[in-house]
Amino acid sequence: MLRSRFLRPPGARPEEEFLARCLQCGQCAQVCIFECIRMHTGFNPFLSGTPEIAPRRAPCFLCMRCSAICPSDALEDVPREEARMGFARLDRDKCTTWRGLIICRSCFERCPLKAAAIVLERGLYPVITDKCVGCGVCEHVCPQKAIVTIPTRFVT
Amino acid sequence: MRRPGIKFWRRLVQFGVAAAFVVIPLLNHLHINVLTGNFLAFRAGPLPLADPLAVLQITLKNFYLSADLLIGAAIALGLAAALGTVFCSWICPYGLLSELSQDAARRRAARRGRSAPERKTGFAVKLTLFVLGLAGFLVFSTTPVLNQLSMPAWYSRIFQFYFEQGHVSLAMVLLVLPAVELALGQRLWCRYFCPQSVLLMCVKLLNPARLKVRFDAHRCICARPRDPCRQACSLSLDPKTLGDAVDVACNNCGDCVAVCKRRGRALCFGFGSHKKNSAAGN
Repeated sequence: MLRSRFLRPPGARPEEEFLARCLQCGQCAQVCIFECIRMHTGFNPFLSGTPEIAPRRAPCFLCMRCSAICPSDALEDVPREEARMGFARLDRDKCTTWRGLIICRSCFERCPLKAAAIVLERGLYPVITDKCVGCGVCEHVCPQKAIVTIPTRFVT
Repeated sequence: MRRPGIKFWRRLVQFGVAAAFVVIPLLNHLHINVLTGNFLAFRAGPLPLADPLAVLQITLKNFYLSADLLIGAAIALGLAAALGTVFCSWICPYGLLSELSQDAARRRAARRGRSAPERKTGFAVKLTLFVLGLAGFLVFSTTPVLNQLSMPAWYSRIFQFYFEQGHVSLAMVLLVLPAVELALGQRLWCRYFCPQSVLLMCVKLLNPARLKVRFDAHRCICARPRDPCRQACSLSLDPKTLGDAVDVACNNCGDCVAVCKRRGRALCFGFGSHKKNSAAGN
């Protein structure tokens, strides 16, 4: 499950259109300064060489270099607010702040769209809004692994 | 000292390109992004390059062509239209491996006192695979599957996987293919399968004034059973019978021209017709 739950890079078109356009050249992975984009390895002729991001390993920081360089526009050059990679979901039963144990705020502080994608309810409790583009940073930094990013490619 | 011939320069370019695609992923790993990409799409600073077949596939599928891909594919196709399929003989790293294995097979055959047999071009097999792959992608698939049959792309991808992701790819086994070619004594992939070369060949056939190997029968001093030019051809084509059937497969590598240079100089490069008209004095 975790292996297949990868995200496409920011600005990726809907999955089917993305695959039809991706040239598998790996330029997005090469310009990624955070080394979060990996090319799909293996021989699967439908996936091999396409870019993927596993947020638990390395999340996307929405620098948007990859979508700027993509030669075939499989990654559209859009502003970071429209990156539409996925949606983060917060499990309040695991979150230490919501459970009332400690004040954590890791996800809120690290969110690239701070105070838009994650807001603090009553100044304390993190809530993920519909501005979230699913970069996976909050999932990566959450000490409780309370956040899971659901890729947009699962939504048809 | 003898001046280095065309084969020296060709090998130099081939080894240079093969080495470059080992170094480029390393540089990118160090975040030096001047050269990025692989043999499917490449970018040298501001200059985009692209595999014309990959571009053709996604253009037909999406009815969309970005400026980068248009320029990149136009450069590659323009080169093929002007100079023939020199990509295969001068640039393709798989072509280099295949030629080296072919050289070894020739030496082995020579030790046993056999000469290389003449072979047909195999273009029909290639063309069938090409059409099936293209149609299959357009009708059934979402991914340009012919890209997975690109040997140069796999060559560059192996090093992208290894140096950028630390992943030892099983695709290394594809490098066993030259060993198979060595055992069978012919260039299987380039002759019968490579779908990328089909498009380049089709484009080169559109331009009758492209660079070709010319044969002047009056100057040829090798009587029929002796044919050093055919022995030199890594695809086992016969340069003396240059016609459209042979010319489709000819990559303009120049090995036959180099060999003939030390004999009758009957073979030479020239733009346009195959037959060299000695009487007209050109």
